[in-house]
Amino acid sequence: MQHPYQCIAAIESTAQGQASSHLLAACGHRLVLVDVNDSKIITEWFSAISTTNTAEAPENDDGERPKKKQKTVPPVKPANIIKLTVSPDQAHAVAVTDDKYVRVFTIGNGKLEEISQRCMPKRPCAVQVLPDNATIICGDKFGDVYSLPLLPTASEDVPMVADTALESATLEADEPAFKPSATNLTVHTKRNRKALEAQMQQKAFSAKKEPLKFDHKLLLGHVSMLTGVAYASRNVDGRDRGYIITADRDEHIRISRGPPQSHVIEGYCLGHKEFVSKLCLIPGTDLSVSGGGENELYVWDWPAFTLKRKIHLTDEVVNTGESNAEASRQADDGTMSQADSSKKDVAVSGMWIVPCPAAHGGTETALVVAIERLPMLLAIPVNQLGLPRGQDVNITTIDLGHAPLDLACIGDSVVVSLDAREEGQSRFQAIKLQEVQEQGMIGNVRDGEMEKRLACLNSYPTADASLDGKTLDDLLYNVGNLRKRRGWGDSAKEGDDGPDGDAGVDDVAED
Amino acid sequence: MDWSQHYPAFIQNCPSVTQSAAEAELPSEALLAESPKRVEIADIGCGFGGLLFALAPLMSSTLILGLEIRTSVTEFVQEKIKALRTQNAGNAFAYQNVSCIRANTMKFLPNFFEKAQLSKIFLCFPDPHFKARKHKARIVSQQLNSEYAYVLRPGGIVYTITDVEDLHDWMVEHFDAHPSFARVSEEGDECVRVMTTETEEGKKVERNGGQKFVALFIRLDDPPWPSD
Repeated sequence: MQHPYQCIAAIESTAQGQASSHLLAACGHRLVLVDVNDSKIITEWFSAISTTNTAEAPENDDGERPKKKQKTVPPVKPANIIKLTVSPDQAHAVAVTDDKYVRVFTIGNGKLEEISQRCMPKRPCAVQVLPDNATIICGDKFGDVYSLPLLPTASEDVPMVADTALESATLEADEPAFKPSATNLTVHTKRNRKALEAQMQQKAFSAKKEPLKFDHKLLLGHVSMLTGVAYASRNVDGRDRGYIITADRDEHIRISRGPPQSHVIEGYCLGHKEFVSKLCLIPGTDLSVSGGGENELYVWDWPAFTLKRKIHLTDEVVNTGESNAEASRQADDGTMSQADSSKKDVAVSGMWIVPCPAAHGGTETALVVAIERLPMLLAIPVNQLGLPRGQDVNITTIDLGHAPLDLACIGDSVVVSLDAREEGQSRFQAIKLQEVQEQGMIGNVRDGEMEKRLACLNSYPTADASLDGKTLDDLLYNVGNLRKRRGWGDSAKEGDDGPDGDAGVDDVAED
Repeated sequence: MDWSQHYPAFIQNCPSVTQSAAEAELPSEALLAESPKRVEIADIGCGFGGLLFALAPLMSSTLILGLEIRTSVTEFVQEKIKALRTQNAGNAFAYQNVSCIRANTMKFLPNFFEKAQLSKIFLCFPDPHFKARKHKARIVSQQLNSEYAYVLRPGGIVYTITDVEDLHDWMVEHFDAHPSFARVSEEGDECVRVMTTETEEGKKVERNGGQKFVALFIRLDDPPWPSD
């Protein structure tokens, strides 16, 4: 088996007057930098075995549970790269690995060099470098959005910013002798009484979590897993206003002011009936498109918080994709087939804006959508997104050899990384789109030239005997897992209702 | 969200003015109708409704909503509201301005209320979540305070009460640290008296001889956008 490239990112710069194109591609725990013009891999980076995995003791819960027996920790596999992004000035790349680390690389001079790694409190699931090229915002699975300086300051003892000072103050202000926070006089549910008894018996503090040692700010938080974070900018009365748009698993899209006023929520775009998994801002407009666990894309006028229209991903499109997927699944070795369900559950796994020159010339763009596990891309001309409701939008299907994992644009060429697991199968496909004016449809042409240039990535040795279909599926296909079981209609759990019940408290994401 | 189900005496189930203007020919009287009444007071974690039933007669033309996560407790409150409305049907005040919904406010508060809709939010005797690892499940946090600020209008008040001093300190710290809130005095506010004595939890605390800690916070105006 060969490991597909789960994340790719294009770097196009005109440093020193020379136009250059590079592609960053993540394959498991490895990151490679390819010079597209020279068609060769110029740097390779490995995620080292992370030291914190062995140093971290199991969480102690302040000693309120009896200490767990330490199991012998087997050697940890190096962490996979799960997110990859490039700064707007194309000078830095940021990668997130599975071990909660945010890693910053310089990519100038055709070399890839890691200049920092910072461990976040929870696994980041969305990351972006702001237009100032100096700040990273990242959202995590707990629901928090942090900002970090792109280039960390030299000193480790950076004074904590106000909001994190709050966390550490609460931790540090306690006396050395443990004092429970409640007394016999406070009124308890049975669960709280038990917690109090346990606290009374505790003699001393156990190690509390260390506050983060690097400069960071908690900008905002949902109490739900974040699935998308995007920075947007609008010009109002001659001034640029920054916004942070966040999407979560509980169907919310929130628009907050950008730093330093991210505590101000401007509004919400509500309407999704299932989780939101992808957000895409349409440049040059006030439109945004969101997709998730439904068979429809939502087009918003986000500054006005209103839904302009939905775009139905037609059943034929999805069904055709499904049957193609079936066929390719049977041919492949080692992949698990999707859980059987008569209803086709759609999970939008990617949305990108790509160049799509119009027939008459002129630069147009198209919105390209990937649906998890389907070996196809759906393309919609951006100028159709604003069509009024009632008017059908033309969706073009682009069939691919395998399911697309990520997409990057190099010039006019759309490079797609494919889930091709059998050795010898090409892991990349490159196409050029063109709008066919009369019907609003989009034609596509295979860009064999670009594919040849990326051939070095195909021959990059990543065959691995230990790879198995299930591990790959877990890494590559987890958007569908965002779907909630609808038992009660409101994410309640059994046993919530008694006076001693947890009352849905565990809905709050745990570690 | 069909609020007429909750406050039938105050809200009729009719399409909004703008919608009807766009889609149907309606007599001009409909176009001049007042904008529909909206909930202004929310009791987050209302439990068995003690605060709701005590506040309702004091603000008989203000809509009050209790939110509770436990389904059976919510049903209890809803039944009690029904009963009180029936029993008081002939009277001047008939509990028509109070209702209760089963909801997880930590996740879904903005689904129920629009921006700056509320004038008061009550957080009475919230679960203290003693264990440090559970602190993030507390109903007051830096992140959640932004949501409370969103649904509360500038000048609106958050009322908090608890018998756990640690939780009181936590709530005060977090609201104080949030730029949209400032602490204000409990003096002279009738709602404080009601909140302190009228909830089930409050009465239990009295019987046990415990202490009650109260804190009020006013929602400040949003700052102007930064100018570069």
